[in-house]
Amino acid sequence: MSHHLSRRHLLQLATASAAGLGLTACGGSGSGGSGGGGGADGDSGKITVWSWTTAAEALRGVVPSFERDNPGITVDVQDLGNPAIWDKITVGLASGGKGLADVLHIGVDYLPGYMEKFPQGLADLSELGADQHKDAFVEGLWPTVIGKDKAVHALPWEVNPLGLFYRHDYFEKADVDPASLTSWDDLIAAGPKIRAATGAQLLGLDKPGTVQDMDFFQNLMQLQGAFYFDAEGRVTLASDEAVQALTVIKRLNDAGLLADTAGQGTWKRLVGQGKLATAPYPAWAIEYLSDKFPAQSGKWRVMQPPAAVPGGGRSAIVNSTFLSVSATSKRRKAAWRFIEYALTKPAEINRMFASGGVFPALKAAYTDPKFSAPDPFYGGQKVLKSFVDSLTAGAGATNFTGDYSRALKLASDAQSQVLIKGADPAEALKAAAKQLAQQTGRQQAA
Amino acid sequence: MSLAPSERAPATGAATTTATGTPAGRGTHRHPGSARRGRRRLLTPESVPYLLIMPAVLGFAIFKAYPIAASFWISLTTGNGDDRQFSGLANYRRLLDDPLFWTALKNTALILVVQVPLMLGLALLVALALNSTKVWLRPLWRLGVFVPSLTGLVAAGVMFSVILNRDAGLLNWVLSLFGVDRVNWLGSPVWARVGVVLVITWHYTGYNAVMYLAGLQGVPKELYEAAMVDGAGPVRRFFSITLPQLRPILLLTVVLSTIGTLQLFDEPYVLTGGGPDNATLTVTMYLYNNGFKYFDFGYASALAYALALIVSLLGILQVRLMGERR
Repeated sequence: MSHHLSRRHLLQLATASAAGLGLTACGGSGSGGSGGGGGADGDSGKITVWSWTTAAEALRGVVPSFERDNPGITVDVQDLGNPAIWDKITVGLASGGKGLADVLHIGVDYLPGYMEKFPQGLADLSELGADQHKDAFVEGLWPTVIGKDKAVHALPWEVNPLGLFYRHDYFEKADVDPASLTSWDDLIAAGPKIRAATGAQLLGLDKPGTVQDMDFFQNLMQLQGAFYFDAEGRVTLASDEAVQALTVIKRLNDAGLLADTAGQGTWKRLVGQGKLATAPYPAWAIEYLSDKFPAQSGKWRVMQPPAAVPGGGRSAIVNSTFLSVSATSKRRKAAWRFIEYALTKPAEINRMFASGGVFPALKAAYTDPKFSAPDPFYGGQKVLKSFVDSLTAGAGATNFTGDYSRALKLASDAQSQVLIKGADPAEALKAAAKQLAQQTGRQQAA
Repeated sequence: MSLAPSERAPATGAATTTATGTPAGRGTHRHPGSARRGRRRLLTPESVPYLLIMPAVLGFAIFKAYPIAASFWISLTTGNGDDRQFSGLANYRRLLDDPLFWTALKNTALILVVQVPLMLGLALLVALALNSTKVWLRPLWRLGVFVPSLTGLVAAGVMFSVILNRDAGLLNWVLSLFGVDRVNWLGSPVWARVGVVLVITWHYTGYNAVMYLAGLQGVPKELYEAAMVDGAGPVRRFFSITLPQLRPILLLTVVLSTIGTLQLFDEPYVLTGGGPDNATLTVTMYLYNNGFKYFDFGYASALAYALALIVSLLGILQVRLMGERR
């Protein structure tokens, strides 16, 4: 064993190396963007934007006009894919904002969680003038962008009002008048007729919950003005509305009207084979259906979603997405200018809608003629107009809270227990609500 | 290895260094203030190994030791982002009352008890077959057996989610040729577990078989020859020679497979998402959910430490049980 490299030498060397590494790390840090800009609120330089698939494509469409109108700012839109983007943003926020892009595209299922768990993570857009746009967006979205500090941390981009897509030809064949279907009770009654005439089941659901697709359950609650949490953030997963929602699903299943769509691409395959008669889906499905199933052109129509309880509400906002600026961005002003440009100008937002199918949340966008144009895929029906009408009918704000993911998981478990093991909806939801309260420290609503 | 005189020179100086490492009387041997000489002393035959392992040690300290320590600290706190409060063992107490943690642990234990013996037994059979001189085209078979372990875990999960699909999956199609009804592989709690076991077994059997094969080839042939002279049949030879000789490798594969199974994540994550009704939820998946979906890093860290404790205890137990009977 050598004594030549004394412990002191070793320490010196270690310190020097560590300092070197540290310097290297510092050199590589900063926001995801590169290039000029300078100061913390840089108004120029290159900004990066993180989004996914068609939305990223839509955002790229805004870049040329933005760059022309804002000399000195260049925009790099990166498609990170969904769900990979959530891990990337979460890790970035958890490490104090390191490595995040300047602009982040965030869904309503994540935004409240990010604002709650990382209160310093997303930039305060009120300081940059975001509040002036408060009334520009459809009702129910603005409460979601406000943090505990009462500041605005995002601008709404996409909104997804709920509709019921249905196979017009199947309904005709089964002699079912869609206008007569005002509640899910009516659909459960009509389902067997449709199945007998066409062989199609009413709708598909991921019964074992492999991807936790709880949209239908949530929609049935949202139609009743309810959700997993109330406006005060108390747990309402065992409420009457939730039990009603899960009971509707159980009745559909017991009547043999629910196809199992677990597994990769199963839903798509079943629709392609004409084995599903309806799809309770939001506005993004307008383009999705026409894009994926061109052979079924003229066979689909859209109606207002049936109420979860007879006589109940028939409009709901399923979900929405937003653009935020990361608080650690070195070019916050430039990033804000891009967001404001993309989301508050009707021409830009409609350009994005045309290229990416992202239904705009900006009210002024609906004056565009295309929102009242007939759509050949839907037999000439003015589908967009029906969704706009549904939005203007008003839908309550949904309080997703920072514990939405946990609630989603527990609700998905409860639904699987009901559909796979025949559990009682009220009992399954009671257990889920208890666990949700226990795990989050939230109160249960009375 | 011969050394250049200039390199050897400081080595003789080693005799003047005291046991505590204090360079006693060094000043008498070197020019005062000679920085060049000091630098040269840093690069001695004895110091070079330290310098060479330094990057690895630093890498370990920065990327392993620090996160491990930081994670322990986080496991003792609650709160969001930078705003964390010390909460003592609250996260660990919460763990004990959390039904999902116990479900995840039970699932993991079940897979461990069923899958590991099954896979290792199969791997041993495969290794014995591949070791036999009667097998034709042995290298090709060996390659074929090993190839699945080269597949990415996520890719394997995606591939099996297609194979195990109830309506359009390959496996149900094959079964239908034999008149077997469609199995809801991923939709029923029991079959989903079977599905996960299938994927892991497919993925890792070849890997273990290759290790056994290496072990088998290290068993001295004389032992078998002597046993045959004594009239021992193939079964007797297997239990009296092959198995005892393979013991170190058996121990290695059992410990590695146990650790691997306890850390199971990718395959069930891709295949079933932990469902249905948490039938395939594993501890690491629950850990991931708490950290990256629920942003509950304190609790996730506590889960990580609980898992590390279980892995360590099981590892020690296995080494004690299997390793010391030599």
